[in-house]
Amino acid sequence: MTAPRLLQNFKGSRALIVTTNRVAVEALESTLAKLGVVSEFPEIRDGRAELDLAQLDPDRDILFVDGDLHEGLGLEGGPDGRLSAVPVIGLVGVEAPSRLKSLVQLGATSFLRKPVHGSAVYMALFLGVNQFLLRGALRARIEDMERRRHGRRFVIKAIIRLMSHAGIDDDAAYDLLRRESMRSRLSLEDYCEEYLRRGANEPMRLAQGEMPEKRANRD
Amino acid sequence: MVGGTEARDHSIGGFFCFGRGMSAKHYRIGVMFSTTGSYNVVARSMLNGALLAFGEAAAESGITVEPVVVNPNGELARYAELSQQLITSGIRHVVGCYTSSSRKEVIPCFEKHDALLWYPSHYEGFESSANVIYTGASPNHHVALLVDHLLSSGRRRAVCVGSNYIWAWENNRILREALMTRRGQVLAERYFAIGDIELQQVVDEILELRPDFVFNTLIGTSAYSFFRLLRAACVARGIDQPKQIPVASCSLSEPELEEIGAEAVDGHLSSSVYFSSLATPANTTFTEGYRTAYPHGPVVSADAEASYNAVTLLIQSLADAGTDEVHSVKAAVTRQRLAAPQGDVWIDPQTLHAWLTPRIGRSTRDARFEVIVESAVPTRPDPYLVQSSPRYALARTPELKVVK
Repeated sequence: MTAPRLLQNFKGSRALIVTTNRVAVEALESTLAKLGVVSEFPEIRDGRAELDLAQLDPDRDILFVDGDLHEGLGLEGGPDGRLSAVPVIGLVGVEAPSRLKSLVQLGATSFLRKPVHGSAVYMALFLGVNQFLLRGALRARIEDMERRRHGRRFVIKAIIRLMSHAGIDDDAAYDLLRRESMRSRLSLEDYCEEYLRRGANEPMRLAQGEMPEKRANRD
Repeated sequence: MVGGTEARDHSIGGFFCFGRGMSAKHYRIGVMFSTTGSYNVVARSMLNGALLAFGEAAAESGITVEPVVVNPNGELARYAELSQQLITSGIRHVVGCYTSSSRKEVIPCFEKHDALLWYPSHYEGFESSANVIYTGASPNHHVALLVDHLLSSGRRRAVCVGSNYIWAWENNRILREALMTRRGQVLAERYFAIGDIELQQVVDEILELRPDFVFNTLIGTSAYSFFRLLRAACVARGIDQPKQIPVASCSLSEPELEEIGAEAVDGHLSSSVYFSSLATPANTTFTEGYRTAYPHGPVVSADAEASYNAVTLLIQSLADAGTDEVHSVKAAVTRQRLAAPQGDVWIDPQTLHAWLTPRIGRSTRDARFEVIVESAVPTRPDPYLVQSSPRYALARTPELKVVK
């Protein structure tokens, strides 16, 4: 797996700052401007932020959420924050565990204390965005591993089939399947599944794009 | 805590009272430079530049100003103590600091008391305190023009040699990114403890690698020793060092050229916003005034000019604001436009850093710089390199793995 690259220049980003305490985030807005980031303040109506999470762009948008706002902003994520579509940075006033918990559940990957101090902003942005990217990469990695775990049985079946057809031992069969899967630029599991599906006796070269429903092996 | 009395005891500055006599408003201004200690040469030229401006600007502004000079002796802890003493004695504005570590040390004190530090030196960026006015060069003033110049003369392969601290690390990172995005290459990056002068090994390595240029971020005695050793090794091998392996620096100034010595002083590139050889009327006045006031040196440096500019801007802003209250002075300073020795200088309202004119100089045998490249107009400060640095940090090593 390739680790995500470190994002260091935030020019062109948009900060969506969800707070009712504009005074506490004055330094946030002015420091973000120095970093080339524009700030917007979504309206909060009847305790809900006027914000469509589906419309946010993870390559551009960064969400700052005031932890002191009453819960139920309509921004709730999953129990481990895995639903956050964009980087979330928590604005912390009251440090009580319940407040921090709600920010963590939103997917906050870094925090700024209120009133925000200008010298903490770049650091919080750097940490928050890069942790978000890292978390996304790790999540994709886990999903890939899960999928391949389910594919183990195809590998075992393919090895046994090749052993009996080609009269070779399991190591030789594995090496052959692995080499052909790499040449086909597929994961071993995907390759073996396809090999079995075609009922082939010999390992065959699969051109890229022959299995559009599968992800190519990129790690 | 002794307070203002001790601060006044350190004062070597005068009481500059010109113009409108006793009815004029009077302000005490802190001036804090380590005129003794390991980096005293540049710091003394900065103090000289500041004091020169106190005399000149007060005469024209209609206010009276009294510099209260303190010397932290290059000791980090003394910086915070002296700042506290100056501020609690009623002073709201202090011109001072040379190293980034000393500036970082005093900023909390200025923020706590809402006082203003006028920081007159070049630095590596990534800071913008609301209680600091930065009159020296930002990182974009240093590296961009230098990389343009080197690449346009066909020099793509660099060896970086620096002192082992933030100034060198950060400048090397910026240079590496600027070079690599334009197909340049860093062959090696070597660091040495501040004050280390045993540098023959890296000189041998440079002659082995034969880069198109050396990027030097060594400071003080380490740098002077490196220049001498490299030149001597090249002379011994019949290599024309300035032509074949020029050394490019971001911080090399005239007082330091004098320290290198006659054998190795010429042909070095320096990226700076000011050289004492500039032929502007304001610079002629400045250098003549400086020479007359301080005939025993150290000679004028870019940081001396930045200190001179800081004090001039401060006094203009005090006169404009009619008070030394920090909020008003900060608003006033962004309205000033200074015909400085380097050309027009003004403070960017967004970052409180200065618009300055980047230049590249080549050192001469008489320990001065001839300007070989010059930006046509002052350049906007970009302390976070928002306009020039790549969106993603460069990976140091390619992520490859061995396959059969």
